[in-house]
Amino acid sequence: MKLVKPMAGLRKRGNYLYFWEKRWFFIAMAVGAGMLYMPLPDGLTQSGMIILTMSVVATILFVTEPVPLPTVALMIVIGQVMLMGIDSKTVAKSLMSDSVLFIMGSLMLAVAVVKQKLDTRIAWLLVRMTGTKTSYIAFGITLVSGLLASFVGEHTVAAMMLPVGITLIQLTSDDPKKVRNLAAVLLFSISYGCSVAGIGTPSGGARNAIMIGYWKEFFYDPTNPETFKYLIDYVKWMIYAYPMFLLQVPFVTLILLFTFRPEYKDLSRAVVKLRSQVEAQGAMKPGDWIAILIFFLVLLGWIFGSAEYGMGTIAILGATAFLVAGLVAWPDVNSGVNWGVVLLYAAAISLGVQMKDTGAAAWVANSFLSILAPFGMDEGIGLWAAVSVLTTGVTNTMSNGAAVAVLGPIVLKLAVAAGESPIVIGFITAVSSAFAYLTVVGTPACTIVYASGYLKTTDFLTVGWKMATMSTIIMLGAAAVYWPLLGS
Amino acid sequence: MNDNPNEQDVNDPEKPHHSRFRILVCIDGSDESYRGLKYAAKIAKGEDVDIVLCYVRPSDQGLRSGGLQMDVARGNMLEWGLELPGIKYLKKGRDLLIELGNLHEDWSETAFHTDIAGTSLGDNKIDYTAKSGKKIVLKLKVAQDVATGILDQWELGHYDLIIIGASARWDSKGAQMIRGFFDPAVAEKIAIHAPCSVLVARDLEYGHGHLMCTDGSEAATEMIKKDAYIASLCECPLHLMSVALDVESEPDAQKAVNDARKMLVDMGQEVNDTIVKVGNPVDEIIEEGPNYSLIVMSDSGKSGLQRFFMGSVALKVMQNAFSSVMIVR
Repeated sequence: MKLVKPMAGLRKRGNYLYFWEKRWFFIAMAVGAGMLYMPLPDGLTQSGMIILTMSVVATILFVTEPVPLPTVALMIVIGQVMLMGIDSKTVAKSLMSDSVLFIMGSLMLAVAVVKQKLDTRIAWLLVRMTGTKTSYIAFGITLVSGLLASFVGEHTVAAMMLPVGITLIQLTSDDPKKVRNLAAVLLFSISYGCSVAGIGTPSGGARNAIMIGYWKEFFYDPTNPETFKYLIDYVKWMIYAYPMFLLQVPFVTLILLFTFRPEYKDLSRAVVKLRSQVEAQGAMKPGDWIAILIFFLVLLGWIFGSAEYGMGTIAILGATAFLVAGLVAWPDVNSGVNWGVVLLYAAAISLGVQMKDTGAAAWVANSFLSILAPFGMDEGIGLWAAVSVLTTGVTNTMSNGAAVAVLGPIVLKLAVAAGESPIVIGFITAVSSAFAYLTVVGTPACTIVYASGYLKTTDFLTVGWKMATMSTIIMLGAAAVYWPLLGS
Repeated sequence: MNDNPNEQDVNDPEKPHHSRFRILVCIDGSDESYRGLKYAAKIAKGEDVDIVLCYVRPSDQGLRSGGLQMDVARGNMLEWGLELPGIKYLKKGRDLLIELGNLHEDWSETAFHTDIAGTSLGDNKIDYTAKSGKKIVLKLKVAQDVATGILDQWELGHYDLIIIGASARWDSKGAQMIRGFFDPAVAEKIAIHAPCSVLVARDLEYGHGHLMCTDGSEAATEMIKKDAYIASLCECPLHLMSVALDVESEPDAQKAVNDARKMLVDMGQEVNDTIVKVGNPVDEIIEEGPNYSLIVMSDSGKSGLQRFFMGSVALKVMQNAFSSVMIVR
């Protein structure tokens, strides 16, 4: 029998919801207050304790995200002035550095590059080179995404290549269930191709620029020629890291093909359709050539001019050129860059420098070493592995730039305390921070590819651990064999 | 526009409109969510039931995508003529409703759009209205996170029932394995905080009836009245269950079931069978659950905070059951 709808007995939504949503904020604040009232541990100064507290609170907030992340940046600034008693002028100055300019300029460049719609050309070139076999296409996507990402940043390339991957998948079959494994192989080829390449050059990711900034800030002394080796420029970074990226590419494809085993061994149908789609666009326009030229010049600028003018200046020059040439509109740049992230990195780097100045970083490094010592991991490859595992762990829970910003000062002081080369340890940290293959949030490329809706979070776990193992082995190999040859 | 609370629009199914039964189905593209939609379609066979399909896209923090707004990637996809996942999922839901005969070609169609700062898509809504006034709405929403988005959607529409899949994709903001530890699953959050009845779908299948669990309390009686209405809409068979903590209180449980049965019969409803068990209510109910389409329980009436610390039978059943659970408020 049909009944009449009973009246809704509305329950009021209580205000506790706010506190529940923000609980990690209050927990972080409580932890911070607790730490400040704790008796000072041996060897740590009062101001060191305050900075350490701020770092711990910031880390909790980075991981749990109860408040919008740029808020944490603002809190770091407030904390430095009000808790540490540093002059606000000094704090303001410490926010901007060449690394931050570089991050900002690179992001503007990234938007400009994506807006050029060169992705169709790249797709066309790609399928022309690879033919129609799925395995070749997967390898081609990894390599092309990687080569591009190593220079223009992984987020840029992920954003550009995602439609290429999805078009290939959709042209193969409309039913996502029939192409699940194929989708996984193609999309992971993009994201992991970008991720392994992000370590290749300083412009591959913000974390690299942050590490370069730390080396300079921590060890460079203009009066001491001995310390000049800590000025790592674009080319020097590439010599260290680029071979590692190239070495990883074939492994990425192999791991993906063996893990997911795509349903279709040949994609000729999709490739033919994609080709006709691309050809409909006509020949390259003058604007396209100018865009490529500008980017090429920026690249040359980074390689040859970054020592003199700073990488940040070159990046900003490139962004300016795109704007002047009218290839990108300011509103596009303005809405495409998340300025909060620039703010966040600025504050995190400023906090990192304070960690060094107050001695807090050295104190944490020594404590960490004394934990590792009983296991014989306080030197050599054991220490490298420990640093790598620590970084990989942290980077899977927060963005890799933030991970490097937080961990950088500690691991560099760790290297000093353990008598290891800060350059090797620094590289291990910066490179390991790219090993966030396990989670969606780990690397920008993973986040962007996940937004396509074709992947499940469990896919990241299934294949991620294999990737992380492969990358760690290659990196430790480089640290043991290759880097010492370079005289670090 | 329509999301502005100052504007009155009686025909808007997102607005409170008490004679109609409104169901909010949360679509996330998973099979689970479409099974939930199929169930909603069964309930919505009648003229006085509206369905709103809602997909929530969490807004970007930017940091995860390395400072490049996800929008740049999304815009690029749109320029390739590719559909964004949310739109694709909602359209699939709409096609399913057409297939099931809930939505017909002759319904009028109106599209609405609200700009949200910082995204190229904003909130989008398509209304399908039958001549009788019955509505089906597709809604793509941008919110800070999925759970907040759905709860905000409730504020707009004062729905009577929210159907949400218990599947993984709803795990916290964008489903992150580690973040899930800090942030309870979306389905759970909705079930705790929503002011209306919530159906958490797990392998939801029509036709096996509702298992109403009563302890004889006032809240349980209310639940039975409300669920009897929902069951009458989809013509689902009713079953009653009560669990006594020990043998001594078994007669109480028996009485609770008998009273409920009498009440339902007085309402003109048929009760297929009654079950009385002795033991831990949570375990017994979970064990019995898979034999039915869904377990129906009353909200304990405790405030959210209390519920968090003490936990209620309903919440524990919802968290641990192998089958679908509806918490009635």
